[in-house]
Amino acid sequence: MLRMANLAKTYRTDTIETKALSPFDLEVKQGEFIAVVGPSGSGKTTFLNITGLLEVSSEGQYWLDGVEVSTLGDKAKSRLRNEKIGFIFQSFNLIPELNIYDNVEMPLRYRKLSGAQRKKRVEQALEKVGLASRQKHYPSQLSGGQQQRVAIARALAGTPAFLLADEPTGNLDSKMAAGIMSLLKEINANGTTIIMVTHDLEQATQAGRVIEVKDGVISEIKNLAQKIA
Amino acid sequence: MISYYTKLAILSLWKTRYMSLLAVIVIAVGIAATMTTYTINHMMTKDPLPSKSDSLFLVRLNNWSPESAYKNRDVETAPVYLSVQDAVNLIRHDKAQAQIPIAGFKDMLKLPSQDAVDAKMTFVRSSTRDFFSSFEVPFLYGSSWPKTSDINGEQVTVISKKLNDKLFDGQDSVGRTVELGEHQFTVVGVLDDWFVLPRFYGESTRAFKAPRDIIVPFQTQLNLELWSPNLQAFECWKETEDASVAAFWASECVWVFFWVELNGESEKRVYMDFLNSYVEQQKALGRFQRPTLNQLQSPSAYLKERDAYSSDSEIAVWLAICFFTLCLLNAMSIIMTKFQGKAGEVALRRAVGASSMDLFQQYMIETGIIGLLGGGLGLLLAQFCLFFSSQLYTHLSKNIMAMSVELMVITVVLSVLSSLVFGLFPIANAIRVQPATQLKSL
Ligand SMILES: Nc1ncnc2c1ncn2[C@@H]1O[C@H](COP(=O)(O)OP(=O)(O)OP(=O)(O)O)[C@@H](O)[C@H]1O
Ligand SMILES: [Mg+2]
Repeated sequence: MLRMANLAKTYRTDTIETKALSPFDLEVKQGEFIAVVGPSGSGKTTFLNITGLLEVSSEGQYWLDGVEVSTLGDKAKSRLRNEKIGFIFQSFNLIPELNIYDNVEMPLRYRKLSGAQRKKRVEQALEKVGLASRQKHYPSQLSGGQQQRVAIARALAGTPAFLLADEPTGNLDSKMAAGIMSLLKEINANGTTIIMVTHDLEQATQAGRVIEVKDGVISEIKNLAQKIA
Repeated sequence: MISYYTKLAILSLWKTRYMSLLAVIVIAVGIAATMTTYTINHMMTKDPLPSKSDSLFLVRLNNWSPESAYKNRDVETAPVYLSVQDAVNLIRHDKAQAQIPIAGFKDMLKLPSQDAVDAKMTFVRSSTRDFFSSFEVPFLYGSSWPKTSDINGEQVTVISKKLNDKLFDGQDSVGRTVELGEHQFTVVGVLDDWFVLPRFYGESTRAFKAPRDIIVPFQTQLNLELWSPNLQAFECWKETEDASVAAFWASECVWVFFWVELNGESEKRVYMDFLNSYVEQQKALGRFQRPTLNQLQSPSAYLKERDAYSSDSEIAVWLAICFFTLCLLNAMSIIMTKFQGKAGEVALRRAVGASSMDLFQQYMIETGIIGLLGGGLGLLLAQFCLFFSSQLYTHLSKNIMAMSVELMVITVVLSVLSSLVFGLFPIANAIRVQPATQLKSL
């Protein structure tokens, strides 16, 4: 469902060239749960952004559901993001002046859905993360863990095939983090492909596959659990 | 989608309310300055009587001194006024659709029942009944006087609504009597609200003042020898026979504006031929010893010749437009700053699937609302400025200072459109952000 060949990313500014990602090949099948680990500044977010079509690679090819994404224009890419991809960010990125309901509804607003259909989906998504009763609250009235669950609900509301999470538990304490992890596993069990960046090796062991990024070089780690043990 | 964008726009405007308010005020001030000066200029230069501007003409005849040209001008022109004898002759020949002398005097006006101390000095217009039909003057009560009043110089009068309100409490005063000096005049008609701008038919220096409140037949003024040399401008090139009013009436002194109504080129040509033969005939009698300069002048040409339109007001409009542009640039920088704070939201919306076009629409609506509010506030400010100017410049009539509904709509549309145009760049700038870089920094 996702295939990358010879993909590489170099940032060019006037003076310096940063090799963020060296050429790599990768294939991800539907329903996988992939953890991405690696030291800070190694290129994890860059990898995730390219995967989520928020950034373009400087080399190589990337097929999403059989479509080579470099051939797509702004509108088509926006649509792919809207319909196939859900994002969860480390810093939640909720819009403070919108209430929980409106925040979760946001991706659905860019689809041709009736008000009733939107309402149903938003309520289902909030149900899933256990915040159905907080629809009228504003982000600032929720705890960090609750905010992240709203962000997850927002990602789920569009029923994406892919969920891309960049350190979703980075700003949370371990108890809240565990809650989020079990939520993600549950979502994955229902068929959604998840790619998650994490610093926490313990979390990474819970994923089906682990990818390591080190100085822009992507490699797969087999048997991570045994290694750290 | 529009309602969603509008909701987001209102939330965003509220969130950045001080900045939004500032942008609205800046636009409003620019709009108000432009529309105030534009309104004044427009009212001052518009066609006063569009339905008649092609068929009314000022008659000018060169009855000036054999010794020198009128006003010693390099290019000789005929005086703007006629002498009484020429005005009377032209009326008597009755060769035009309408003959409208514009003359006048001043006298003490009161009701017969009032004491002499209650009499008010009043400027009186004198003309013929054609004045009302040709200038499309609306009547509230009664009508203009009959032709016989013009011929015989009867003591009849038409008064303005304002004067009727003052003297008769706004009641139908047809048949009632007013006193001008020692003469009694019977009211035959009361005008409805009436205003021509610019008031082309009289002295150009008073083109922006209200018409006079009381009108009597020209012949009546002549018969009663009502003459106010300190009110009425007049020009003479030779002494009158004696100091009497009758001698003045019979002299070559000019002071009567004389308008005629002629429909179409052929009527105009025929009337010109008539004027030429009239002057020839008068020459045979020893008058008109200078080159014949007969002229039929249109209202706008007359006003232009007399410099009734000041070019100042046009310059003011240009200055105001420059000022407005400056305001818009200011608003643009405010909007720019405002949208810079939206980078995070733009990135997020892009990430969840909004296309550039979606965001462009959303922010255009937000900018449009700023323009709309600016236009509305600007309109209010402009009304205030116009009111204020009318208080300040009392030589300008209050009606110049009025905005038409059309102009109000144009004002608001102009405000919205210009805000959108000047918002384009800030918006394009805001939605150009790379979502990836923004989301990382959040
Ligand atoms: N827009 C950019 N322009 C230039 N260099 C960039 C840009 N974005 C990222 N980089 C560089 O690319 C490299 C990878 O950055 P990236 O954000 O992917 O790291 P990361 O693995 O996500 O780090 P962290 O764990 O701290 O989030 C870094 O060296 C960074 O400085
Ligand atoms: Mg990162």
